[in-house]
Amino acid sequence: MQNSLRWNRFMTNNVKKIPTIALIGNPNTGKTSLFNALTGEKQRVGNYSGVTVEKKSGLWKLDKATPVTVIDLPGTYSLSAQTIDERIAVDVLSGNVSGAKPDLIIVVVDAENLQRNLYLASQASELNLPMIVALNCWDVAERKGIQIDSKLLEKRLGIPVIPTIANQSKGIQDLAQATKVALQSNPMMVRPKWPEPVQNAIESIKTTFPQLSNGEIQRLLFDNSSALIERLDGDSAKNIQYIQESKDSIHKGGYHPNAVESLIRFRFLKPLLSDIIARQSTLKKAIHTESIDQLLLHKFWGLVIFIGMMYLVFQSVYSWSGPFMDLIESAFSHLQTIASNQLVETPMLQSLIVDGVLGGVGAFIIFLPQILVLFFFISLLEETGYMARAAFLMDKLFQWCGLNGKSFVPLLSSYACAIPGILATRTINDRKTRIITIMVAPLMSCSARLPVYILMIGVFVEPSYGPAVAGITLFFMHFVGLLFAAPIAYLLNKCIQINRAQMPFVMELPRYRIPNFRSMFARIYESGYAFVTQAGTFIFCITIVIWALFYFPRPESILEAFQKEAETESYSESVYHSKLDSLYLENSYGGLIGKKLQPIFDQAGYDWKVTVAVVASFPAREVIIATLGILYSLGGEIDETSNDLRTALKNTKWDSGPRTGQSVFNLPVALSVMVFFALCMQCGATVAIINQELNWIWALSCFVGLSVLAWLAAIATYQVGLIFL
Amino acid sequence: MRTILNYKMKLSQVRDNGLYKVLKMNEREKSITRLMDMGLLPGESIRIRHEAPLGDPISIEFRDSHVSLRLKDAEQLEVESIHD
Repeated sequence: MQNSLRWNRFMTNNVKKIPTIALIGNPNTGKTSLFNALTGEKQRVGNYSGVTVEKKSGLWKLDKATPVTVIDLPGTYSLSAQTIDERIAVDVLSGNVSGAKPDLIIVVVDAENLQRNLYLASQASELNLPMIVALNCWDVAERKGIQIDSKLLEKRLGIPVIPTIANQSKGIQDLAQATKVALQSNPMMVRPKWPEPVQNAIESIKTTFPQLSNGEIQRLLFDNSSALIERLDGDSAKNIQYIQESKDSIHKGGYHPNAVESLIRFRFLKPLLSDIIARQSTLKKAIHTESIDQLLLHKFWGLVIFIGMMYLVFQSVYSWSGPFMDLIESAFSHLQTIASNQLVETPMLQSLIVDGVLGGVGAFIIFLPQILVLFFFISLLEETGYMARAAFLMDKLFQWCGLNGKSFVPLLSSYACAIPGILATRTINDRKTRIITIMVAPLMSCSARLPVYILMIGVFVEPSYGPAVAGITLFFMHFVGLLFAAPIAYLLNKCIQINRAQMPFVMELPRYRIPNFRSMFARIYESGYAFVTQAGTFIFCITIVIWALFYFPRPESILEAFQKEAETESYSESVYHSKLDSLYLENSYGGLIGKKLQPIFDQAGYDWKVTVAVVASFPAREVIIATLGILYSLGGEIDETSNDLRTALKNTKWDSGPRTGQSVFNLPVALSVMVFFALCMQCGATVAIINQELNWIWALSCFVGLSVLAWLAAIATYQVGLIFL
Repeated sequence: MRTILNYKMKLSQVRDNGLYKVLKMNEREKSITRLMDMGLLPGESIRIRHEAPLGDPISIEFRDSHVSLRLKDAEQLEVESIHD
């Protein structure tokens, strides 16, 4: 009987179900390196439902016949559920995510900071899960003269302690062996004894909720906003009150429930670690990191180096990815020419393939160089440990509007392009800070706005006011967005309530280390892959929709009427085609929408052509130039420096309405167009990336919000301009 | 006359790089419980390592950790100077 039961359990464990192993550890312990070393390429990256916390799992073969699933949990210092990452960790470990608890926990512990790292292990051990310690960065510790008696540690903790060097894939075999054994023997870490008031509170909750483990009860008692409280059966308000009463009883017993856990656990860990660590005093105590920090965090030189580094990061996105983008662009235009020639017989299919499909694919592939190059630098900065220093140096600038120093790099990158910039917000741990940073990132004046500025300034500012004023105007246009971003960030910080207050900005400055190229590559690959598969699809769809809007309906009647006109005028072939294209565009659905919207932009000084161009440039701002080109019958192949376009703009007159006969474009209109484009979110890719990184509600609110802002500012600019200019 | 050396002060008032001992921590603040999770508890010694160019935040060292802390959070820690 007993035997058959055991056999059954063996069958269910080993045949039906692959064991699940959760990887936990402090940030900067090399946990992700270990995860990569264990699972190799066999990883899956997703999100935990409803939150933008990366969910990584992979397959690890302990030996040829024993595969296990490894879940890489977000790096945390504690299970106290202050951050979304910690909540996820608690939820996974207590089985609230997949329905089943993991079969084993591997705690990745930094050999250089044993006590702090084991605190997390000690918290997790209370959840009644078997555990193994991976003592990582063994080599670094040894080089610094820190020697750890892992055998003695193993004995004291009661669980296997396996030295590893994750970034060199060392110790993986031992870990696999230990894991295999541990899955059978279920080693449990020693636990502290709690003072009486705490013990009583635990016992009392246990009688009410017998299904909870001690660890889960502790999370309810010690955490300010426990993730588990919502998971309890019964009335949640009553539960909250019940837990509060238990907390009060601990308080009356002389312990603060917020502090008692760390006090007791660290007091418990201290004797366990005595004589385990031997520091060789012969080795110089001057740690590398400390002397590097003397320079990099120096009040003057630190800032100089920081600015240099950021210049490098910015240039990488702004200029260095240029050649790759040109390459992609010319490849696509080459493809478009080929397709265009092949499909000349079927004009609609030609336009669909050339402008819709190829244009749509090109529209997101073009961002890849910037994303990959930026993520090369970001992963380099993170892997080396400099990223935290950068945030430290800049934090003060962001404090007042609720952001923190970590917003700097994403916002700076957004000055080149918001797409990699918004992806870069993944380095911000706090969700609220991340949302606010994403929402203001599109206001940073990206390089796609430049053609609009150059055209408008080149035609209406430089000729009459000279290059100096032109330069100042260009500079100011890059500043307008920032001017609005700061108060918007401040307001968002006051308004957004994301079920909990912001995390305090207590950030570890990890020791410097040589980057692990495997981890860097994984990072870069992930960001590119996510972009292509998620945002890319979305951008493609937008391009197709906008293409259709501006292609259809194309009634025969337009062609017939135009042919009659053409007979009398004897146009050259190119003029004929541009005039016809212009007519088609004017009478397309998109053109009609633009015309209908014109009254809305009337107070900003726009005629229907500008309005149509604004609508058509929804997928990408720079499209306004080509659209204006088509509308002025110059063809879509012009750029912002085209003299024809510049002359056309100067000579356009209002053909109806109260301003008939007056020039459409003058300085106030030019400024108004520039301000509109500085603030609006005429970028389908940005909408797509916000949708990818947050959700469609944020994407839509950002789009609507910035459009309204841009519209109001455009009107204000025009009206004020009329008075002064 | 000698001034009293071991007087209590807030960590945010500390202006030198010397060693200090943590006396009291306001455990109602999230930033403080976070520090406690990282192993900073009353009785530990602590040292300010750097101050950001704009004067805030500061970076503190305790046990083997090096952590950035804003001045408004440093106000929640009471320390006294340690003299050998």
